[in-house]
Amino acid sequence: MLTIKDIKVSIEDKEILKGINLEVKPGEVHAIMGPNGSGKSTLANVLAGREEYEVTSGSIQYLGEDLLEMEVDERAQAGIFMAFQYPIEIPGVSTSNFLKSTVNAVRKAQGKEELNALQMLKLIREKIQMVGMNENLLKRSLNEGFSGGEKKRSEMLQMALLEPKLAILDETDSGLDIDALRIVAEAVNQLRNENRSFIIVTHYQRLLDYIVPDHVHVLYNGRIVKSGDKSLALELEEKGYDWIKEEADSVPA
Amino acid sequence: MPTVVQDRYTDVKARFQQLFEAQQIQLNGHASHPYHQFRQEAMKRLEGLDFPTRRDEEWKYTSVNRLLQPAYQLEPAVEVTEAQLQPFLIEGLDAIRLVFINGAFREEFSDIGKLPEGLTVMDLASALADSRYQEMVQRQLDSLMDGQENAFMVLNAAFARHGLFIHVAKNAVVEKPIYLIHLAAPGDTPTFSSYLNIAIAEQSSEAVFIEGLYELPGAEGAYFNNLVNRFRLKPNSHIHHYRLQQEGREGFLISNADIEQDGDSTFSSYAIDLGGRLVRNNLATTLNNSGTGTNFYGAYFANGEQHIDNHTFIDHAMPHCVSNELYKGILTDKARGVFNGKVMVRRDAQKTNAFQQNSTLVLSDKAQMDSKPQLEIFADDVRCSHGATIGQLDESAVFYLRSRGLSDDQARAMLQQAFLEEVIEFMKMEPVRDFAEQLILKKFEEKSQ
Repeated sequence: MLTIKDIKVSIEDKEILKGINLEVKPGEVHAIMGPNGSGKSTLANVLAGREEYEVTSGSIQYLGEDLLEMEVDERAQAGIFMAFQYPIEIPGVSTSNFLKSTVNAVRKAQGKEELNALQMLKLIREKIQMVGMNENLLKRSLNEGFSGGEKKRSEMLQMALLEPKLAILDETDSGLDIDALRIVAEAVNQLRNENRSFIIVTHYQRLLDYIVPDHVHVLYNGRIVKSGDKSLALELEEKGYDWIKEEADSVPA
Repeated sequence: MPTVVQDRYTDVKARFQQLFEAQQIQLNGHASHPYHQFRQEAMKRLEGLDFPTRRDEEWKYTSVNRLLQPAYQLEPAVEVTEAQLQPFLIEGLDAIRLVFINGAFREEFSDIGKLPEGLTVMDLASALADSRYQEMVQRQLDSLMDGQENAFMVLNAAFARHGLFIHVAKNAVVEKPIYLIHLAAPGDTPTFSSYLNIAIAEQSSEAVFIEGLYELPGAEGAYFNNLVNRFRLKPNSHIHHYRLQQEGREGFLISNADIEQDGDSTFSSYAIDLGGRLVRNNLATTLNNSGTGTNFYGAYFANGEQHIDNHTFIDHAMPHCVSNELYKGILTDKARGVFNGKVMVRRDAQKTNAFQQNSTLVLSDKAQMDSKPQLEIFADDVRCSHGATIGQLDESAVFYLRSRGLSDDQARAMLQQAFLEEVIEFMKMEPVRDFAEQLILKKFEEKSQ
């Protein structure tokens, strides 16, 4: 599904990612962990298509296409979903209008029939229950004045509605209490199937108590320095990141 | 010795004089009617007035030269079908409808029916001949002309043949709104149309006026609409005035609203400006007593070479009055926008609460906005604030929307709509609000073509 080959990424001439390789197959859940400043979010943002990140070398293939050549909206229409760490507040755009527009924009791009008002309402009702979001938020401006937890649920709702092929969760767990964390995890677990893949970027192991990953990668200093299965996450929880740093720093670049 | 500047519009005034005389010949004996005398006096008065130039501080950013140059004709007869009017009928709105085309009242397209109790609608000439209204109408006309130096208002008085009088009786709460449609149907020769409305809301009455200024679908050509509204609000009366403006590409519009409010009255203006080559709106209120509320809400969106200028003036002469003013707009291509909001708080106007904000999105390098908030405060116990911002769309919001599959155009249109929504939200009448939103959406689509 996704093949990342030796990508190097700079922002304002500073190299953040120094050669990343990653293969994500359909149905797999990959966790990207690592200490602050290791480049986790940069990787997520490059996949989402933020323009301020300059990919200086390497390639990313998504379902056989050159992802780096795809516009942000083309990526979304092709089934990539990014749950943002800090979803932006957009005053004046009502949440429900926004949801309707995006669902139909993606459906249209995928050659599916657009939903009418009634079908849309039914779909939104169904998914909003799944993520445990308050229906009143639909009437409000998108993310405006939402609490941290509400913003994350709103992201999960969008994910559930857009039914992506590849979802990237960028530190979706940060700032969430345990109940909200469970809800995010449940949403992911319910959407998990043999065709849908997830990349979960997180600093902490605790989200992975609820979403069991197939692969765990540790990012440090712009490189993946260790990969393993779910036990690697537990090891990090127990021992912290220092031993990873020491190991990585002792290897000559 | 006259200066070059004063000489500049001598020809223009002579042309208006000829137009006036030509129309007078057709009057056949109505020339002695008091309304005609009023018009004649206005015409005489125009001789002594100058049209503004950019040397006038109030017209610094807006030149009327382009507007005054064409050789205009009056009220050309046009064939209009009911179907052509259809786009301007507001869905779900049950209103008293008066349709004017090129300045002339068209009964066949109007829907007046039986007027609600307490509401009177008649042409000004009839009102001046009616013993019940004669005096009050005369007083309003006098106060419009008294010391009037605005040449466009005087010009309007001279040419507004179908002036309208609206009277809301004491304690009458008229729920059915009055919808005035001013349709321009320009042709090969530039057209000049004048509209004058005098509305009086008696004590504790309430009414809603909607004014739509549109161009006939399929028509094209230059024209000049000169509009004057006079609103007289008696104690504790309430007027809501909606103005939806989508003039044609070559349409010029000068609109003057002169408001006078007694104690505890509220006047709310909701103005949407989307069309026109050159648009100048003057909105001014005088407060006679305490406890008044004045709300001026405006949204504008200009593209191409459009020029939209909003001038407002709120004169707080009395204590305990509230005014709210919010104007938001979008400029793109080579469009120009002007906002000048003057709020005067006089020495006796203690406990005044005045809020003013103008925000504009300027989306292209060649578009230009001049915003000038003017707050003059002479009282010491007041709460006043004003602000002006000029900015661009938030690119991180564009990115967010695109990351959910909306195209760049869709994302930008959604954010622009949202920007104006803050103003639109104030429109209490839902069908009008929906209609205004649709007009704006249509304009966004026109832009992306």
